[in-house]
Amino acid sequence: MIKKTLNKIEQIKVPEPCTSLPYNITLLDRNFTFTDLKHVLGAADISKAGDRKAGLAAADEIMREAARAMLSSLTLQHFYDNPLTNINGQIDSVMIVNYDINQAIFATITHLTLGELKDELLKSNGARIREIGTALTGVMAAALTKLLDVHELVYLAKKLKNGATAKARTVVGLQGTLSSRLQPNHPTDNLSGITMLLYTGLSMGSGDAILGLNPAIDNVANISSTLNHLDKIRRETGAPTQICVLSHIKTQLECLKAGAPVEIMFQSLAGTERALTDEFDVTVELLDHAYETMRKNGPLRDIAENFMYFETGQGSELTYNKHDGMDMTTTEALCYGLARRYSPFMVNNVTGFIGPETHLDNNEMMYSCLQDHFMGKLMGLAMGMAPCYTLHSKVTLEGQQMATELLTAAGANFFMDVYLGTDRMLAYFDTSGHDDQTLRETYNLRPAPEFLTWAISHGIFIEDADGNILRGENWGKPEIFCQSKSEFQRLQESVPAIYGFENAGARPSNKVSRLVKANQAVGREAIYADLRPTELGNIKLRELHTNAHNKAEYLNDAELGAKLENNILANLKAEHSDVQIVISDGLSAEAVHHNIPALLPVLLDGLNSRKLKIGQPILAPFGRVKLAESIGDALQAQLVVTLIGERPGGDALASRSMSAYFAYRLADNATQQSAAKFSGNAEMHYEYSVLSNIYSGGLPPIEAGSVIAEKIFEILQHQAAGNRLENLLQVHIN
Amino acid sequence: MNTLVDKALRTKASTSRFGERVTLLGLDFGSTTSSALLASAQISQGTTGHLELGEVKIEYRCEPVLTPFIGQSINIPEVALLVQHWLKQSGVSVNMLFSGGSMITGLAAQTDNAKALSQLITSIMGDNVIATADDPCLESWLAFMGSCSALSRYHTDMPILNFDIGGGTTNVAFGLNGNVLDTGCYFIGARHFQFAPGSYQITAMSSYGVALLDALNIHKGIGEILSADECKKIITFYVSALEAIVLGEHDFFKLPIANKLCQAPIHLASNAQSSITFSGGVGELIYQYISDNILPSTTFFGDFGIDLAKAIVNSPILSANLKTCVPEHKGRATVVGLTLHSTEISGNTVYLPKPDCLPLRDLPIIAKLALNASSEQWHNALVLAAKHQHGACVQIFDSNIDTPNQVKLLAQNIKNGLATSEYPQYQPLVILLQTNIGKALGNYVSEWGKSKVNLIVIDEVAPRNAHFVHIGRLNQQMIPVSFFGMH
Repeated sequence: MIKKTLNKIEQIKVPEPCTSLPYNITLLDRNFTFTDLKHVLGAADISKAGDRKAGLAAADEIMREAARAMLSSLTLQHFYDNPLTNINGQIDSVMIVNYDINQAIFATITHLTLGELKDELLKSNGARIREIGTALTGVMAAALTKLLDVHELVYLAKKLKNGATAKARTVVGLQGTLSSRLQPNHPTDNLSGITMLLYTGLSMGSGDAILGLNPAIDNVANISSTLNHLDKIRRETGAPTQICVLSHIKTQLECLKAGAPVEIMFQSLAGTERALTDEFDVTVELLDHAYETMRKNGPLRDIAENFMYFETGQGSELTYNKHDGMDMTTTEALCYGLARRYSPFMVNNVTGFIGPETHLDNNEMMYSCLQDHFMGKLMGLAMGMAPCYTLHSKVTLEGQQMATELLTAAGANFFMDVYLGTDRMLAYFDTSGHDDQTLRETYNLRPAPEFLTWAISHGIFIEDADGNILRGENWGKPEIFCQSKSEFQRLQESVPAIYGFENAGARPSNKVSRLVKANQAVGREAIYADLRPTELGNIKLRELHTNAHNKAEYLNDAELGAKLENNILANLKAEHSDVQIVISDGLSAEAVHHNIPALLPVLLDGLNSRKLKIGQPILAPFGRVKLAESIGDALQAQLVVTLIGERPGGDALASRSMSAYFAYRLADNATQQSAAKFSGNAEMHYEYSVLSNIYSGGLPPIEAGSVIAEKIFEILQHQAAGNRLENLLQVHIN
Repeated sequence: MNTLVDKALRTKASTSRFGERVTLLGLDFGSTTSSALLASAQISQGTTGHLELGEVKIEYRCEPVLTPFIGQSINIPEVALLVQHWLKQSGVSVNMLFSGGSMITGLAAQTDNAKALSQLITSIMGDNVIATADDPCLESWLAFMGSCSALSRYHTDMPILNFDIGGGTTNVAFGLNGNVLDTGCYFIGARHFQFAPGSYQITAMSSYGVALLDALNIHKGIGEILSADECKKIITFYVSALEAIVLGEHDFFKLPIANKLCQAPIHLASNAQSSITFSGGVGELIYQYISDNILPSTTFFGDFGIDLAKAIVNSPILSANLKTCVPEHKGRATVVGLTLHSTEISGNTVYLPKPDCLPLRDLPIIAKLALNASSEQWHNALVLAAKHQHGACVQIFDSNIDTPNQVKLLAQNIKNGLATSEYPQYQPLVILLQTNIGKALGNYVSEWGKSKVNLIVIDEVAPRNAHFVHIGRLNQQMIPVSFFGMH
């Protein structure tokens, strides 16, 4: 039910933080001492890449079981009395919100140990489990989850299916349903391309949860434009659903104020205040304001009971190094405690999106997804899932599909529909409309009732005499929404990597699947291929090494590729070049192989024409963008241009895409102060510009060489990069 | 963290130019009617990063009005008032126009003051609208683009032959996968004979109508009534001519009268196996007839339009694809083509050191050279170009350009040509090519800006068989390029 008012933050009771004491336990003949509760929680989970990097994962199975035994013995009151604190020993705003629990119910379970709570839940029905969930903080939910095996995570979550509904235009989460968010992401927010992807998804019965676009460009004009476009398509097709463009909450508030149809308000959440505020630029106060604004002014205020949409995923706090010593599952549960405050229409979990630094392989991703789904449902959320992967992790399509099968069994409210599973904007892989339909048929599920009625009326589904929902003759035929073949053609041409619309039952035809997989294979190979210096042309390069010594180290720890090895740094002397070129494989060595031989000679011709002092180009395998600063500081170069392979997506050709990053060193005080004043960041020492999409299907390498040379001239002439440079150039033109 | 940093940087680097809507205009002054169309389109990035106009929305279209004539001449003051009326009604001012095209077509283009009208449009509309008269093959191209462009790309492997039949001319275009491969134009149309509506009493005839009557041994003049048999003879001749075009029977047009009606022949092979589509006023009637089986009464419009439409529907050769291959915009194909396709958009990395030198109107395309053209070929072309004080254009028919050496060699040949031809330093020279290497080529030719040659290299523009080009002002990183003179 909709919450009419929010409890005031200052009225939420939270115990004072107490001095952390070690937790000691003996298992068999081994003694274990955990520094504090955070370390017990970290060690009790399965081993995951992010927790290993944070030093929280158990060293072995016995240690893990010792931590679980320790957790099992602690009462809920103990968890209550020991709020986890931030790095300054304080309780942050996210933790405070997590203590906004049902105190009356908590009073009835406070004495239970976690082990007893687990057994109690397994013996209870859904209503009782849900009731207990209202009395749990995120930390308690996370601790409990670490005691559950796969069957228990599925079994308990399934009991919570009834009651996990939320209502906007449609009701999502009813028993017997599996809904979907139709995600028509396009790399340039091209409205025709978005239309094509919407038509495709709608024709497959997707989108009953929401038509939700991740925008490529986050400004008020573009977000308003895309919102109005989604609204237009919704009205024209008559599909009973709701729309959302997933931009920053501040942008959406401005769009709403300007009259754009912000039907559902989106925001990504983090489980620590530092990550939430510093990285996502959001506070609890701002979320409260957005909620109240939607309640009073949202377009669906008269019909929706829920109108907020949150996305979370294990590991975001860790990648920003703002996890405050907590493991990924715990910070994820804290996100749910924050989300619960706003009774959201949807919470979508995208564990797997970040990559191998948080979840290395299928096992880590699958188990985490099951944990997240259960924790969200336990805490009363309308929980949907987006088990997903990037090509630079070891998570595969097969692992992702196994996760969706398990999550369907567990009663997830919704999955994504990304056309053929390949997101063309975010370069990652998610569930598809084919997957959603396959799961609906396998588990005898259907879309939300209002949407089903509409889909039947359009021949997308049919209902047989026995009440079974089957695919109709128009299922998978996006052209049913087009006025003509010409319109259909124009729409198709606006989407990259259209592989075809032929289906075999609920699946894509084998021909289409082979194309999708072959493109993925090329992308993955591009990541794992090593740099081959002999394929980079005839220009002599000097090879310098970063702290990442192999591909695995490089992929699993972003910091390693951001610095040269210490012994190399120690031997480098200041060269004071105007321009230093650095070439690195980044996330696609093939991009470097395909572009550098044509690009570098043109670039050097351009630079030499101005008689600039150019450092001998550097080849730095396993480098990150930030490596420019390590090299720039050591060589005292004025400008470091890093040519680096981009993260491959699902398009084979685009896996050869490279970027050029221009890192301008703010060497003198006046320039530094000017840049700091412009950006608001007093500490900045480099300004960045970027040129992306360099490959034969985008900006071809020969032309890119020339464009990069001209950009270098501009940066050096105006002694500025990034937006400050663009502003100066604008002034110059005017 | 890097991912977020990267994304933020990319977004900031590329935000400002997307999403803006621009206004496009088309004006069509035909043998029978004149019409105006205003559309808006959104600047967006295509799948390869190329800026393009998409999300086209028709903002205004006037009801077609009879083209004002005084005798055999266009009533220019009346047209001026008409244009002002359209602008006022649409709420658009001239300085809002991003691009557009104005064309005097059919019999209107045959009048003695068609060029004066063209000049009038230019004076009213300014630099961004290209006004042309009597450019029949361009009209055929535009009609195809306005009606069949997307349809042709949908049926990738199926050639399409489009007949745009208006009052005075039939503009024919043959295309495959969205590209027009050949064009032609014939004085076959509804309005060579004008009648008192509801009868076949002749009120006016064009010179082509008179010649046809003579050839068919029909001896009737103004005020007299054509018999049913005579009407049938005329219509049968027209249909036979159209069928001959479809079947590639070139001998048909060796007949003196057929030859007279051929303004610009199309050279289709006899086994072209095209799907046939129709546009123009008669095309509109054809699709209306097969859809509803209803047409207005005899000579309702005072011409042969209805009879010609019915006869085409009854021709098995011409009507084979009427239901399976349906074009867009039909009667308005030309004006839609003018609005949306008169102007092409350059790539967004061009070589343009002095943007203020644009626009460059009516540049002759003095040579079309291959990528590997020699210094001597460039010399010859640039000697010719040097004679055009306001500037000239050379089109490069490029194929695969993969290596910097290919670009350097091309640049060297151009440099040699510029030197030996003594091409005037401040005289504009525009090089057009298709591959995205405009900035690189320009930089190599100009020695990275050191040379004072007034060079502009515009890329990502497909080659066209035209004699003139108009280069518009730099707008939102894009240069509008319009071709004309496709005789």
